[in-house]
Amino acid sequence: MNVTSLETFSLVAPEIVLVLAALVAYLGGAFAGLRFGWLVATAGIVAAMSVTRGQAADAAFSAGIAIDPFSTYIRWTVLALGLLLCLVQSGDLFAAAVSRGPGLHRGGTCEEAGTFLLLLAGLSLVGVAGDLVLLFAGLELVSIPTYILLGLKRTDARGQEASLKYFFLSLVASAIFLYALVCLYGIGGSTDLGAIAARLKAESTGRTAQALLPLAIGLGVVGAAFRLAAVPMHFYAPDVYEGTSPGNAALLSTLPKVAGIVVLARLLAVVGPAASPDLLWRIVVVLAAVTMTVGNVMALWQSNLRRLLACSSIAHAGYLLVGIAAAAAPSISPRLLTTGGLAATLFYLATYAIATIGVFGAIAYLGHRWPEWTSGSGPRPPREEITLVDDLDGLSGTNPVAAFAIAVFLLSLAGIPPLPGFWGKLALAISALEVDGTAAIELGSRRAWFVGLAVLLVLNAAIAAAYYLRIIAAMYFKTTKRGVQADGGLSAGVAMLVCLVLVGLVTIRPRNLLSAASRAGESLVPHAAAPSAGVSETTNMNMAASR
Amino acid sequence: MNALSPSTLLVLVPLLPLVGAILTVALGRVLGARAHLPAVAGIAAAFVVAVMLLFGMAREVGVGTTGHDHAAKPVEMVTTLWEWAVVGDAAAAGDAGSAAQLFSIPVALRLDPLTATLLVIITGVGLLVAIYSIGYMHGDPGYPRFFALVSAFVFSMSMLVAASNFLLVYVFWEAVGACSYLLIGFWFTKPEAAKAAKKAFLVNRIGDFGLAVATFLLWMTYGTLNFHDTTLADGTLMPGILGATRLADASAYVGGAVGTAICLLFLLAACGKSAQLPLHVWLPDAMEGPTPASSLIHAATMVTAGIYLVARTAPLFEACPGALTLVSIVGATTALVAALIGTVQNDLKRVLAYSTISQLGYMFASLGTGTLLGFTAAIFHLVTHAFFKALLFMGAGSVMHSMGGVIDMRRFGGLRRIMPITAATFLVGSLALAGVAPFAGFFSKDEILASLHSRGWPDAHGEHLEAAPAGGHANAAATFHLAFHTASVTPDAAQLAGGARGSALDALNTPATWRILFWMSLVTAALTAFYTFRAVFMTFTGPTRVPEEAGHHAHESPPSMTIPLVILAALSAVSGWWLFSTHSLASFLASTPSFTAPSVASTATPPAFHWDLAIQGTLAAAIGIVVAALGHLGRRSDGPQMERFLGPLETLFANRFFFDQIYSALIVKPLELIATLAALIDRRVIDGLVDAIARVPAGLGTVVRHLQSGLMQRYALAGVIGTLLIVLALVARAMG
Repeated sequence: MNVTSLETFSLVAPEIVLVLAALVAYLGGAFAGLRFGWLVATAGIVAAMSVTRGQAADAAFSAGIAIDPFSTYIRWTVLALGLLLCLVQSGDLFAAAVSRGPGLHRGGTCEEAGTFLLLLAGLSLVGVAGDLVLLFAGLELVSIPTYILLGLKRTDARGQEASLKYFFLSLVASAIFLYALVCLYGIGGSTDLGAIAARLKAESTGRTAQALLPLAIGLGVVGAAFRLAAVPMHFYAPDVYEGTSPGNAALLSTLPKVAGIVVLARLLAVVGPAASPDLLWRIVVVLAAVTMTVGNVMALWQSNLRRLLACSSIAHAGYLLVGIAAAAAPSISPRLLTTGGLAATLFYLATYAIATIGVFGAIAYLGHRWPEWTSGSGPRPPREEITLVDDLDGLSGTNPVAAFAIAVFLLSLAGIPPLPGFWGKLALAISALEVDGTAAIELGSRRAWFVGLAVLLVLNAAIAAAYYLRIIAAMYFKTTKRGVQADGGLSAGVAMLVCLVLVGLVTIRPRNLLSAASRAGESLVPHAAAPSAGVSETTNMNMAASR
Repeated sequence: MNALSPSTLLVLVPLLPLVGAILTVALGRVLGARAHLPAVAGIAAAFVVAVMLLFGMAREVGVGTTGHDHAAKPVEMVTTLWEWAVVGDAAAAGDAGSAAQLFSIPVALRLDPLTATLLVIITGVGLLVAIYSIGYMHGDPGYPRFFALVSAFVFSMSMLVAASNFLLVYVFWEAVGACSYLLIGFWFTKPEAAKAAKKAFLVNRIGDFGLAVATFLLWMTYGTLNFHDTTLADGTLMPGILGATRLADASAYVGGAVGTAICLLFLLAACGKSAQLPLHVWLPDAMEGPTPASSLIHAATMVTAGIYLVARTAPLFEACPGALTLVSIVGATTALVAALIGTVQNDLKRVLAYSTISQLGYMFASLGTGTLLGFTAAIFHLVTHAFFKALLFMGAGSVMHSMGGVIDMRRFGGLRRIMPITAATFLVGSLALAGVAPFAGFFSKDEILASLHSRGWPDAHGEHLEAAPAGGHANAAATFHLAFHTASVTPDAAQLAGGARGSALDALNTPATWRILFWMSLVTAALTAFYTFRAVFMTFTGPTRVPEEAGHHAHESPPSMTIPLVILAALSAVSGWWLFSTHSLASFLASTPSFTAPSVASTATPPAFHWDLAIQGTLAAAIGIVVAALGHLGRRSDGPQMERFLGPLETLFANRFFFDQIYSALIVKPLELIATLAALIDRRVIDGLVDAIARVPAGLGTVVRHLQSGLMQRYALAGVIGTLLIVLALVARAMG
């Protein structure tokens, strides 16, 4: 624990690099041209990656900072997604700078790039936070730049509405989450997560502290639910996605989800599975079940592409919660196939993020299409941004590469074998089935809950296939006279292709990503490998002691 | 140094055509009339690499240094590229105490004499066909698509013969089927082509089903799908199905009911892919595809996949003598029936198609003997057949090209004056096919007849061998063969198989059966010579006539088409003599791991030239040619035909033994009836139910959608209410 402050700084070197890059982008924006900011952002992320690479991945705890396989996995996820989003965002902006379309914002890219870098730094801090205050500060460093990005991107009424809605609802969620942190502090008497966990396990913990636990869990889960866009804090997603740009939608559907999963995972490591097992998994199972069902049935009726994807992102939040629930219920079955629910969730998160960024990248890349117009009916109206599913009609003819890429991403999201989404759903379903895997299925037993959850997951995947396939059918089986422009900028197209390659790689070799995820999950929530509770007890004790 | 290691080279063989295919697809529109470049370059490079591998392998085996070697050592090299799908990890499997529970599919390629030989054939014939297609497909709107497909086919086929895992074999078994489907239906706007493609696909699916079930059974029985031995993470050795460990142990292969089932399912798969009775009906229709594709896929390479499969799994078949006998019966029957049908066809390509079916039947008849001679003879015939049948098809294509797409032999004649190169090379190919010495087919056919003869007359054959200089103890192996089969499976293995020893099929395994098969093959040889020369005489002799479709520009084909013809003609002329006289192919192949299993290797015989059989075979060929000459030499090809002599038999042959009609009446029509009924029930009953169920999520969606009011206050309120509910529920639970 005797780490000097300089060494503490070295632990968060990647985040510092991101913040420095943000400063360069902000200041440089006053002097240099339009796309300079995004170049700085890309360079900053690459620099942060190289710093992360140089860092030892073994557990180091200092001043509330936890460097372990879990936080390293989160860091890599954040930086990799950041790089992809950089491509999507900058391509988007280039289009805004040159097009004459209505309601499009021009310029200001350097500020956006800087803000985006701050967001990434915040998210990365959330990943390494081992302390309540740092966790909250990190979350706010995610939220505030998000408000700014939403506000900067669109100056039309819808954009402003989306931005405001997100702002206020996020404040509510933050407030609720802050209450959860207060309760945790009340339990532990310390802001250090390890200390709180140790206190919870200790025999001497008073009744007051125990009584605060349900409050802490409930409010903490709700706080995370907003980031995940899960029930009951999911309402904003369709409205906000619809009102913003594809690049921002890609951002909103991925990065906050990472934050939400980190919050839940940390909460899990503190209060579960040993402390109060019954509370956490039951509520997460319910939320997972409701969230995926609500998201999917809502998506069935959407004709607006971004609204549809927003609903689908709600549904995927539900899937992500399945693994968390499984991790929250300490399994007593011998380990069979997976390495735990948290690993499944982390793996699914990555596969979901790649496919989602790919879809939004493709939409950003496609940009605009010509409206219906026949010569002689007046001047040709201006191009319209792609917003509806119908706007993709006949895309396989006009832009076969984009159509193919979108089809692959959607099939992966739908969970069609052998695409990454399938491996992810498989891992999630197995993690749920593994809970008490050897016990009989009796009504009301834990096993019954989780088997039911797994069945619901598969049913939901079937419902989801309906609307994903609707988009693919539009692209491949409908014809249109309205050409799609593909004027959204090359970099978004590049992002789309990179995502396609990533999907291909994970399809062929899911093992690498899965084993990284399982290492990460194992480090935070040791999978109950041993049937006896004693062993998992000691593991947790060791963890607490090392903090 | 490392860059050119054998494993790198092995990967390059399939990789280069794959890159060629991808480039052709990507650049097709840009390259236009030069779209053949990536494909031809890729296949050519792959051919060079395959030849390098072949020579490397030959050095490894030591061909020519040891001469005939009774104890051929298994030679193989396996390269594992990556683990494709792993279920469970080694540690967990170790915990469970059973290593066999680990399901792992490595993408592993192998190189052994059999694979090396086939790789050279695939890439070599593929290269010649690709070059030929430059001329043949010139000006076709689907020019780039054709080359992309040919490249993709060469990739899939090389993967099929190089895969060291049954699941990979299945994957590429399907992949070559898909390429074949796409090439048969290449001119998909032609209804016959689309129909033929569909037929080929559906008939093949029956065989594929066999392969899939056989793969499942293999996994259940042996606990692995790998050919080779693998070392698990914890250091234990996992014997592969065709790995050194299992091959060394005569009792390691399961006979009885399970073993026979696996073999019969393999045979079903082989019948589908290699167009054997009763699944042969797709191949003649497949001639609707472009002729180069017929030449490559439906004559020289893909259809031999069945031969490859049976040869590769030889040790499995050896454990089930009944199944082996059935292989021969199917093969010889197919050979005879297809040859009979071939005698009355008037479409040049269909004559060749039936001839292909017939020759593949020969190979199966040879495989079924279960002797080392039988296996190597089948592969020998596969190689020579690839040369002369590709040559004949490309010759037919050249005729078709020149005749403006007409391929009905009654509509042209005397073409030797118009297309001398095509005529000369076609004649060479025909001599090889008919089995006339010293052309290639003569030697390979002789070996096949010898292998059948050795089973039909084991004693006579033994004496015959003793007369040969190095006969020695080998005759014992030949005569002992039947006894060996019964002893090869231990009672333990039989009990493992869960069935009684042997199967009803074993009753077929008598010398009488083999004698009948031998005579059938001899008759087939005569018929082969007859229909081949009937085609030669009808097409190239007699008064010169061209159909009006050819216009006034009936001419010899361009060099890109004739050069491959000449090369193949040279190979068809000399390869048989060369490979036979040096005995290089047979001794090379004997080192293939599958053929070093004691059950196969113990049947090895010294190389010999069987004068008696050679004379019988040559006589048969001579009779066929003479009859053909009497009927057709120098006459108008649209004159009176065979019907005068054959009477009602002609109807039977011309209608191809009514196979299509029987299938239609017995299978297609009843299925259609069931399908109509099912459709009715589906629309009325099931759809109604499904619609009702589908309305549930949709209805739920409508309800949920109304909550989505767009008013922020409501969202916040709903969120807070939800939070309260959650907290209350948790508190209530915590309180008890």
